[in-house]
Amino acid sequence: MPATPEKVVAPIVLAMADDELILGHRNSEWTGHAPILEEDIAFANIALDELGHARLWYDLHSTLTDTSPDTLVFFRPAGDYRNVRLVELPRGDWAFTMLRQYLFDAFELVRGEQLLESTYRPLAEIAARILPEERYHYRHTETWVRRLGLGTAESHSRTQLALDVLWPYAAQLFGPWPAGDKPSLAGIVPGLAHLRERWEALVLPFLADAGLKIPTLELATAEGRDVHTTHLAPLLQEMQEVARLDPEATW
Amino acid sequence: MSGGDTQWPRFEIFQQARPDGPFDNVGSVHAPDAEMALQNARDVFVRRPQTATLWVVPASAILTVTREELASGTGQPPPGAAADQTEQIYHVFTKSSQRRSMTFVTYHGDVLATSAEHALEKMLLSEDGAHTYVYWVVPDAAITSSRPDDAESMFAPAHRKSFRLPGAYHTRTLMDEVRRANEEPDNASDT
Repeated sequence: MPATPEKVVAPIVLAMADDELILGHRNSEWTGHAPILEEDIAFANIALDELGHARLWYDLHSTLTDTSPDTLVFFRPAGDYRNVRLVELPRGDWAFTMLRQYLFDAFELVRGEQLLESTYRPLAEIAARILPEERYHYRHTETWVRRLGLGTAESHSRTQLALDVLWPYAAQLFGPWPAGDKPSLAGIVPGLAHLRERWEALVLPFLADAGLKIPTLELATAEGRDVHTTHLAPLLQEMQEVARLDPEATW
Repeated sequence: MSGGDTQWPRFEIFQQARPDGPFDNVGSVHAPDAEMALQNARDVFVRRPQTATLWVVPASAILTVTREELASGTGQPPPGAAADQTEQIYHVFTKSSQRRSMTFVTYHGDVLATSAEHALEKMLLSEDGAHTYVYWVVPDAAITSSRPDDAESMFAPAHRKSFRLPGAYHTRTLMDEVRRANEEPDNASDT
């Protein structure tokens, strides 16, 4: 008997939620530190948007598994998180942050457009809600990366360096879903090879236009979403600190 | 740091609350170019709903004149207009109230003229201006506008972000409670 959509979808929804949460948290570290006041506000908005998207996915996940978002966010150790390593890397400089956000926005954009067609309605509904914001995020980070790539010698070299570091991590976005590439996923979530094709069609010409050299493609390591860098645990330690002080508190 | 202004150029932001409504100046942002100014304006000024269109205009392209400058002659536009210049559209904005407001200058009218000074001169001839404190003359050609199909991704998401509104929090009620508690008689000895 085939598994119900709920069974196969839950781990995927959790992975999507974790990506958004960790990236949103990293972005929020810029609040008060962005290069100019206007961008401080703009990027804090984007950080909040990503946390809002995470919330939508966690809420869906909790209807599938009966685990509350707070429990997942504040009381899971690093080893139980299912985000890609791309989003947990320290925020680096502004070029690194903008380029990472750009690569992820492009991914979220193409994935969201595909999820609109999902036969599992809750996925399509959340995608429809997230997409307008994602289109704006993409426009904003695209604007920044283009100006950094084509700007001064320093902004260019910093952005190229960021791309060289981030590129192999970005490949993990197209690693297998946490549920595995089961035939039962067909129609529910987009195929990863197809997603990658669409992402590359968007990202590769843009990066070239921005004067950046695409690194020789390194394949992602075989390690899955259960393996993390040493950077995730300290991030969680800070994020979970207050909730763990008094797990029974009502907020 | 040297004494010079190291900031990016300033752009003035004009917001249209609903389609076909007037544009009002809501503030300014710094940005390296018009596209970035438009995006910064979205994030700084469209935190609450009701925006149909945004205009950004380099502050350096706007002629601004106060009533005092007009009266003293320092802001008096030079008479006439250069004959060899073609006419273009200028949008005139004014401030005609001293009340506190979310907007600074509001839309007043359009003038066809050969220069900003010429546009102001034409505008002044057609009315007494007794209650106008500030005039801004904005060349239509200097405007960068958001596009109609930008609205869904730039402006619509704000509708759902009730957490940005003060009413979404109970801070004020809590503050009142704290204040009342502090005003109880057992604190009277402090005063």
